[in-house]
Amino acid sequence: MNKTFDTIIVGAGIMGSTVALFLARAGKKVLLIDKSQIFRSASGSNAGTLTIHMTRASLVPYALKGWEMWMNLSEWLSRDIEVKHQPGLCLAFTEEEEKLLVERSKIRNDNGANIKILNSAEAQKIEPSLSKKIRCAAFSEIDGYAYANQTGLAYKKALQKENITILENSEVIKIKKNAKFSVTISNKNINQDYYADQIVLACGVWLGEILKMMNVKINLKCLAQQLIVTERMNNFLNSVITIANGKLSLKQFSNGNVLIGGGWPGVGETKDKFTSTIPENLIGNIRLACYTTPELKNTRISRIWLGLEAETDDAMPIIGKIPDNEGAYIIGSVHSGYTSGPYMGKLLSEYILGKNVNLDSFNISRLIQKQ
Amino acid sequence: MNNKVYDVAIIGSGPSGIAAALELSKYNINILLIDNNERVGGQIYRASPPEFKSDESVEEMQIQKDLEEKIKKSNIVYKPNHTVWQISENFRIDGFTESEAFVWRANKIIVATGTTERIVPFSGWTNPGVIGLAATTIILKSQQTMPGKKIIIAGCGPLLLVVAYYTLKLGGKIEAIIDTNSKWTWLKNFIFLFSNIPLFIKGFKWILKILLCRIPIYSNCTVTSAENNNDLLNVEIKNLNNIENSKSIKLQCDTLCVGHGLIPSTDFSRLMNAHHKFDKYLGGWIPEVNKYFETSVPNFYQIGDASGVLGAMPAYEKGKIAAISIIHKMNLLSDYELDQQYKILSKKLKRLKIFGEAISKISFPNDLLYKQILPETIVCRCEDITRKDIENSANNGAHDLNQLKTWTRCGMGPCQGRTCHYATSLVLAKCTNKKIEDLGYWTGRAPVRPIPFYVAAGDFTYEEITKIESTPI
Repeated sequence: MNKTFDTIIVGAGIMGSTVALFLARAGKKVLLIDKSQIFRSASGSNAGTLTIHMTRASLVPYALKGWEMWMNLSEWLSRDIEVKHQPGLCLAFTEEEEKLLVERSKIRNDNGANIKILNSAEAQKIEPSLSKKIRCAAFSEIDGYAYANQTGLAYKKALQKENITILENSEVIKIKKNAKFSVTISNKNINQDYYADQIVLACGVWLGEILKMMNVKINLKCLAQQLIVTERMNNFLNSVITIANGKLSLKQFSNGNVLIGGGWPGVGETKDKFTSTIPENLIGNIRLACYTTPELKNTRISRIWLGLEAETDDAMPIIGKIPDNEGAYIIGSVHSGYTSGPYMGKLLSEYILGKNVNLDSFNISRLIQKQ
Repeated sequence: MNNKVYDVAIIGSGPSGIAAALELSKYNINILLIDNNERVGGQIYRASPPEFKSDESVEEMQIQKDLEEKIKKSNIVYKPNHTVWQISENFRIDGFTESEAFVWRANKIIVATGTTERIVPFSGWTNPGVIGLAATTIILKSQQTMPGKKIIIAGCGPLLLVVAYYTLKLGGKIEAIIDTNSKWTWLKNFIFLFSNIPLFIKGFKWILKILLCRIPIYSNCTVTSAENNNDLLNVEIKNLNNIENSKSIKLQCDTLCVGHGLIPSTDFSRLMNAHHKFDKYLGGWIPEVNKYFETSVPNFYQIGDASGVLGAMPAYEKGKIAAISIIHKMNLLSDYELDQQYKILSKKLKRLKIFGEAISKISFPNDLLYKQILPETIVCRCEDITRKDIENSANNGAHDLNQLKTWTRCGMGPCQGRTCHYATSLVLAKCTNKKIEDLGYWTGRAPVRPIPFYVAAGDFTYEEITKIESTPI
């Protein structure tokens, strides 16, 4: 195998794989590396929510573009994933929550969203299975979900079609820069060097560790977020449900599973594969789901797992060049990154290809700690 | 919430769990013994519900009664009808009954959860009228009821004999026994069975009864199809070497009891991220344990058949061995005493193992059974995943069990892959040309048993829902 590439991408999740795809389509020779397997971390284990209600306000324009790409997936990726356009309802149960909901919806609207506040009866009409106890709901026509589990399969097929070399179970242990980048990869304790003019770091919660290899230090939190899935139920839910403070997402897939998320914290670190729930948080999440959608009381929990999400100090993304490392780029820590991921990845690929793309607000320099 | 921390929590009150509990109870240790069944004894000493009249003539029932009596008289806190669904940090144990959720804490945990049944799929194995061999023993032993009127018993291992014997004893009618092993395989392991004379005699009694009743036995054969036909099942049987051949024997029954050996229950050890290894003859994946059956997670023990299928008698000794290790750790046993006791127990275990290992050799399904799984045959019945679905994913690059699970949902349903783990591995191994042990095992996830939402949530008001920081805007 020839070991020289135009671009080496570290991390085969939604960000890295999208960058890889669009660079390859522009004629670049790409190597995509993952320490585990494609889409096995956050990108394949998240709730798949394509919602505007949970997106950080300043990222709404990106989420809207991302949402469009998801809905037109067959045009640029594949038909292999279940993607559904459903209305999004964000609920408030108390006066305080109503205030928060109205306020947050307004900020999101100022950033390009189109959210309307509905009263309880109007919301029930759209989604009859909702609890009668809601005070009001924010409604967005733009919402829906993609089946996150299957995303890796769809991407892998598309990446292979573009002749991208994918190395799974391969951990980056050293990055050096001479004329080219040389990246040392360990697979089953065998080390090999690969070379490229450009390198893109897209390895989610592991970004901090890889950046250290390039003498760049940032503070990156690792959030372990809990997901709960029910047994297959008769179809009763046809919207994506969230709540005002952002701590619930609820949807039903076509096979009948209801998936409950919302980013309730559990236990999990970058260094240890072991993840576990925090039982109080688990019960909290379950109660909130039952309160919102009483129908759930009649089913059983089939599976609980945790995904790891990276968060910077200001909870904003890092996308763009890595300073003092000509040819090195980074993408990650994008809040609701699954929704906007395809668009963010496409943006970075265009940036790398020299197109006029403004990524100033995501510049990593703001976060770099002085040595 | 109950804040009491037990010295030791034992999950499972079969022979192994009871042995550990009784040994520990001699030392005034706080013991919690949890089981999701109504009565102690596990599967082997499964008793009838209290309101049933039990068959006192059966030796197992006497042992059960004796163990139950001992548990009652001890200081052991015994929680029957409680299902553990999660173990999390600092050994917090979450359990539930039909109506309530419970939380316990312990300094040490012993898992003695026994086994689950392995069934290699075939066309129609999910149809009504098809039940597991081990499941049949529950009906026979606990309810003293036959699963049907016209029964075919199929699969491999000693359960074929157990089910046949008890069915005949209750006056049932057996159409045929379909054994995937050849008579030669039984004979080859025959000599080792002499290592345990009482068990050997028992087995011989079973065989004699079956032979005297002139039950047709099809050796080296397997059921390849079971289709419903009104109230009956049309069952197709093929020779193991000719599964792909169209030639078959056709029989009819109303109930097909089928099973291909037992698999150690590793739900909790996988959930705790303990290290595991693959040992075909001990039933498949088992946790790596030290000589005291402590896993790679400190103070987390796994005993009995859950640490390798060897049967009830070795299980009992394993329970005692784990117990003396814990007693020693609690400074209630000196180094010398531990050594002495270990020597005696391990010697006994070693002797009992000979019989268990011989039985294991006739319990593991022949690799040829792979051929009975047709492209359209459902492998994962919770999520309706067929062999073809698995092969498609493998062709697209799912080369380990966890990636396959993610892409297909195979093994992600309410049974958590207990039923299909082996069959999925078998199919994936064939289409990736890998060994089963190189495909890995499914990550353990809570809930280990599906928990109803109304139980997990309990009674609550909106204000009582845990408060949590809002996501940033």
